[in-house]
Amino acid sequence: MTVCGAGGEREVSFLHGALRVAQVKGGDGVHAFLEYTVKRQCDREFLDPLGDRVSEVDAILSLGCGVGVQVVAERFPDVPALPGVNTSFMGATEQGGVWDERCAACGDCRLAETAGICPITRCTKGILNGPCAGTKNGKCEANKDIDCAWVLIYKRLESLGQLDKIRRYYPPRNFRTIPRPRRLAGITSIDLGGSNG
Amino acid sequence: MYSVSMYETKDYPTDRGEKISFDRSLIPPCQAACPLHMEIREYVDLIAQGKVMEALRVIRNDNPFPSICAHVCTHPCENACRRSQVDKPIAIRALKRFAVEFGGDRMVQGEAETMRSERVAIVGSGPAGLACAYYLRKLGYPVTIFEAHSELGGMLRVGIPQYRLPREVLDTEVQRLIQMGVEIRRNTRVVSLDLLFGMGYKVIFLTLGAHQGLRMGVEGEESPGVVDGATFLREVNLGLKPSLGEKAAVVGGGNVAIDAARTALRLGTKRVVILYRRSRAEMPADPTEVEQALEEGVEVQFLVTPTKIKRANGHLSVTCMRMELGDPDAGGRRRPVPIKDSEFDEEFDTLVTAIGQAPQIPEDFHLRMGRGSTVQVDPATLTTNRAGVFAGGDAVTGPATVVEALAAGRQAALRIDDYLQHRYPLANKEVREGLAGDLLPKTLDMVKKTSRLEPQVLPPEARGKNFEPVELVYNWEAAINEARRCLRCGVGAEILFQDKCATCLTCLRVCPYNVPYLDEGGVIQIPADQCQACGICVTQCPAGAIVLRKPYDRRHVASELDHALRSAAESKFKPFIIGFCCQYGLFGTGALASLWRRAKAGIWIVPVLCVAKVEAEHILRAFEMGAEGVFIAGCGEQCAREKTAFWVSQQVEKVRKVLVQLGLASERVQMFNLYAGDEDPAHALDEFTEKIGGLYLASVIKQEVKS
Repeated sequence: MTVCGAGGEREVSFLHGALRVAQVKGGDGVHAFLEYTVKRQCDREFLDPLGDRVSEVDAILSLGCGVGVQVVAERFPDVPALPGVNTSFMGATEQGGVWDERCAACGDCRLAETAGICPITRCTKGILNGPCAGTKNGKCEANKDIDCAWVLIYKRLESLGQLDKIRRYYPPRNFRTIPRPRRLAGITSIDLGGSNG
Repeated sequence: MYSVSMYETKDYPTDRGEKISFDRSLIPPCQAACPLHMEIREYVDLIAQGKVMEALRVIRNDNPFPSICAHVCTHPCENACRRSQVDKPIAIRALKRFAVEFGGDRMVQGEAETMRSERVAIVGSGPAGLACAYYLRKLGYPVTIFEAHSELGGMLRVGIPQYRLPREVLDTEVQRLIQMGVEIRRNTRVVSLDLLFGMGYKVIFLTLGAHQGLRMGVEGEESPGVVDGATFLREVNLGLKPSLGEKAAVVGGGNVAIDAARTALRLGTKRVVILYRRSRAEMPADPTEVEQALEEGVEVQFLVTPTKIKRANGHLSVTCMRMELGDPDAGGRRRPVPIKDSEFDEEFDTLVTAIGQAPQIPEDFHLRMGRGSTVQVDPATLTTNRAGVFAGGDAVTGPATVVEALAAGRQAALRIDDYLQHRYPLANKEVREGLAGDLLPKTLDMVKKTSRLEPQVLPPEARGKNFEPVELVYNWEAAINEARRCLRCGVGAEILFQDKCATCLTCLRVCPYNVPYLDEGGVIQIPADQCQACGICVTQCPAGAIVLRKPYDRRHVASELDHALRSAAESKFKPFIIGFCCQYGLFGTGALASLWRRAKAGIWIVPVLCVAKVEAEHILRAFEMGAEGVFIAGCGEQCAREKTAFWVSQQVEKVRKVLVQLGLASERVQMFNLYAGDEDPAHALDEFTEKIGGLYLASVIKQEVKS
């Protein structure tokens, strides 16, 4: 399964093709490759049917996100698991083949106060009380191609008639208090022994 | 849910969808409209590739006499063609004529074997009778055709003028039937069906046609100098030269009226006037024929009808009345209403009535008759009220078209076979879903407009006095360009594996025609009636969930590539280069071949049906199997589809990126436009070959240094 063109059946097959070309054009050794596409890698149940076949291989190249690679590694402890993609961020499609970062998964969501525009990911500085002095004609001083998130927030709040929200002061986030690794246990969760939820 | 595909290093997925190799294409409107249900989309596509013999084979599958249809078919397919929503329909009949003439139809041998003993008599040798004889012979029955006239062909012979259907064409088809062993009795009028049964025939198929001209019912219609159109055409076509004098009138607005008028001109009549009671828009005659008649000098008086004919001094004095159009009748045509006191007289030497025809069935046949003195039959089995007697063609339907008669003949043959084998009637063909519906504006706007290429016709000056065929056959270029206009309705893409689809919306974003859409339930849909079958979403879908509806289209590139790679592996040329070349247009015939000849050795061409169907994996596969370079040659601006070049360049970029990561030069993949005006593709290809040769040498040296 893939949405961002990194990890579907076609990408697997393309990477497979590239690996074989690499082997033919001066690579060392002869490896055989097997292709599988699973629906998700973050749930072990999807990996179970691969059990028998994995016992025959020397390594697993996962085109899942960083989570998928780790779950694969946990599920098959005897086989090295390698990442096939470099998972970058959570984003939205800007246009076909172009994605923009939208969420940092900070666990401290402010979107209700910022008119649905995230200052953590979209402001270069990630400040909570913007804009800073570097904003110029609605663009960021760090990169003139990037919109100043705080100008966007201001304009949208203005059109929503909620400018009082930007007049408030928000205390800075405490980066040190994110207790990693985090665990989320919903109401329906089965008790797995954790207590950080 | 997971899917597995497992390949050894040497194997290649020749078909990603091998497990689902069945045909999921839909019947296009042209095929649905054709009484013979010919595979029009298939043969038009083959013509577009220059594969004219294959096209003829497809045509002959469903049509016993394609050369006849190629000349005179009324092409209901063209009326149904969805291209008319974009600009104008595909010239299907003219393309068939091209396939028939260039595909070697004359060389086809009639072959049949007698495998059954039940003899069948066919009464009448029109298109229905000939078609029935053809198919019954194919089924192995001994067949005899009884024809009242001296020549075979029925209306094809005695009704249709030679300038529309050359007699050699008809003679060839008749000859082929004789070759197949059909017994033919000319000048034999059947007067009693009992007699035929008495002669040992088990089944009789009646195709008597509709040769009896209808009467106008006006005063003086019996006068000498008044003749009905069917009789007039029959006399001319059987070699008589009836004289119509200096000035003739033809009454009617159908094809027979036009045929009679144009025939009269060719017999030397100075002035021919068609009197038609409605306006040009309501004329049932083929508009092209009307146009050609006008070019030749036939005059048409619209909204005029004769009310009285008087013969005096060797001339006819015809009293006519002017009409105006009233409310539409049941058929949707506006009814002509006489204008009071608008009578006028006009002098003619002769008057030809062509207002319709009816069958004439001898009463001794003891058949139940229907409306308009037609034979009543069961429409599904073509059986009459008498056991063993089947009927079809104009005798059943009233005056209709050649292709309908051929269809009736085929149906009769199959039903007669069922009857003789004591079988419940079998269905003609597997029933596939049809495709209907108009193109939506958002799709329609994106389809490239290309004007319809009409076949050339003889200039009017050249056709006035003889019976030479008026329409000329296409040349290669015109035929191929016309065939490329086909929208290929019903063979487009579909999401076959909904469980693989992650609704990533790639198809929606890449489609040049705005076809895929997200339905209310959040599921992506690719409506079959909108898809233009360009294949871009198939190559871009990250999940491999989209396939083309025809198995051939799904497999084509991979299997052709495999073939080329195998040939390359066996050849002595090193380095070798793989080229994916568009098979549409003239590449299939001339340009590609000459390009190949002029290019340096070691180039292997993979013919593809549009370069947009080449996937990045195909290019990698070529490198894996030892190719030193890969090029993709498309037709650029000539392409009938949108944005193909752009998506090819995307694939090329994707592969180049990987090549660089693998330490190979990105120039090893190139893209050419074979029809770019300013550069010579052969020259560009030569340059590419040289460069690849250089890279190859460099890599060989590097290898040697390494070892």
